[in-house]
Amino acid sequence: MDLGAVIGAGPETTRYVTSIIRVSLQVSMTAVAISTAMGIPLALVTAFRRFPGRRLLTTVITTGMGFPSVVVGLVVLLLLSASGPLGTLQLAFTPRAMIISQTILALPVITAVSLSAVQAVDQSVRDAAFAVGATRRDVAVRTIAEARFGIITAVLAGFGRAISEVGSILIVGGNIVFTDGTSYTRTLTTAITVEARQGRYETGLILGAILLAVVLVINAVGAWVSARGDR
Amino acid sequence: MRITVEDVRLTRGEATVLDGVDLTVEAGAVTAIVGPSGVGKTTLLRAIAGFAPPAAGAIRYDGADLWAVEERQRLQLRRTVAMVPQDRSLFNTTVARNVAYGLGVRGGPLERLRMAVGGVQATDALAQQVTDALALVQLAGMGGRAARTLSAGEAQRVAIARAIATDPAMLLMDEPTSNLDPQTTAVIEEAILAAVRRGMGVIIATHDIHQAGRIADRVAVMIGDTIIEEGSATTVLEDAASPAARRFLAGELPL
Repeated sequence: MDLGAVIGAGPETTRYVTSIIRVSLQVSMTAVAISTAMGIPLALVTAFRRFPGRRLLTTVITTGMGFPSVVVGLVVLLLLSASGPLGTLQLAFTPRAMIISQTILALPVITAVSLSAVQAVDQSVRDAAFAVGATRRDVAVRTIAEARFGIITAVLAGFGRAISEVGSILIVGGNIVFTDGTSYTRTLTTAITVEARQGRYETGLILGAILLAVVLVINAVGAWVSARGDR
Repeated sequence: MRITVEDVRLTRGEATVLDGVDLTVEAGAVTAIVGPSGVGKTTLLRAIAGFAPPAAGAIRYDGADLWAVEERQRLQLRRTVAMVPQDRSLFNTTVARNVAYGLGVRGGPLERLRMAVGGVQATDALAQQVTDALALVQLAGMGGRAARTLSAGEAQRVAIARAIATDPAMLLMDEPTSNLDPQTTAVIEEAILAAVRRGMGVIIATHDIHQAGRIADRVAVMIGDTIIEEGSATTVLEDAASPAARRFLAGELPL
């Protein structure tokens, strides 16, 4: 499919928009992958292990769902900036910095939704697995399998949070475009802020439509996986 | 196989839920643990199945103390015993995959992968074991059904097939027929007796003393967090020694 024909733009704009979509997807998908890999075990531990500070952790996770993205961006930038504690890593204004801040935003969402999904798995189901010879790890895997629909929802919610946020990546990424007109740290959302500020509402709307389409496609894939898994 | 429960004490928080329980169970027979609701029958079955270590006392499988051995060896010991929980406990997948689960977790990584991809048809041996277990509970040909579409009675029979498929030396069942119709109850009791004929030992926890009378060889009466009387089914059910056991068996409220 020729994106240029769809959005009615010349080759240069098409290249610009394509690079923006690529950066958006790379950053948000990586952040969601990291958040999922951390969030599901965290949800299992929080749900089924008794340890000091468990309730505090639950509170932090639920509060985390409401972290203002600009504040997260600001804190991450302070940590990563040249004079900050992690300044030597030279990550400020890079896609990696954006992945870090979006991970911080998506992790609580994915963990909290996964937590309620795994808590909804009946104790008798977990007991049954253990009682026919499963190890603790087998029981955890079975619990994830039983909670699969809730976990898919969790991942989709986390992706929605990441792909649609603008505050933190604007601050830590810097909304940078290479001199050849392709995106370095500019995403669909940060590009829209630029277009709107400069009065190019039409381009802004096209980018907005693409953003919506991306979210739609990802959710459709999620729904398809859910339907297939229900057997 | 012989399971011995030696002076087991179990606590939950501040409360004592099992207090000085002694019991010996042999394979090849049905032992019924009877008693009113809430006396710890489920807790005792869970303790026997190795869910959690007792606060005091020992659970022995053929002499080996379950909680004195290393984790790996405990897993091997645990895998000679299977338990069917009271509540609906099936996994949200097909009947066949439910029945094959216990066999699946015993396989190596390669076998697990083959099963994840190919299901229970992954090997002929696995498919045969699933078929046999389903036939035992009279659900032959139901392997392809989704577990969540089953009636309560069918679900309970699948749960039993899932446990029996692992070929345990001892099968533990918590109220296996509570809230089920008489026909399903008969099918399940027949499956229990068939398993025993093959040499399996069965422990059922039940508040139904009539069921104990129908299928049990031995009966243990549990009242007040401990077993107060244990013996052959005929002796205990017809001529219990302790007054508390007699009152319970006569249908009076225990004191």
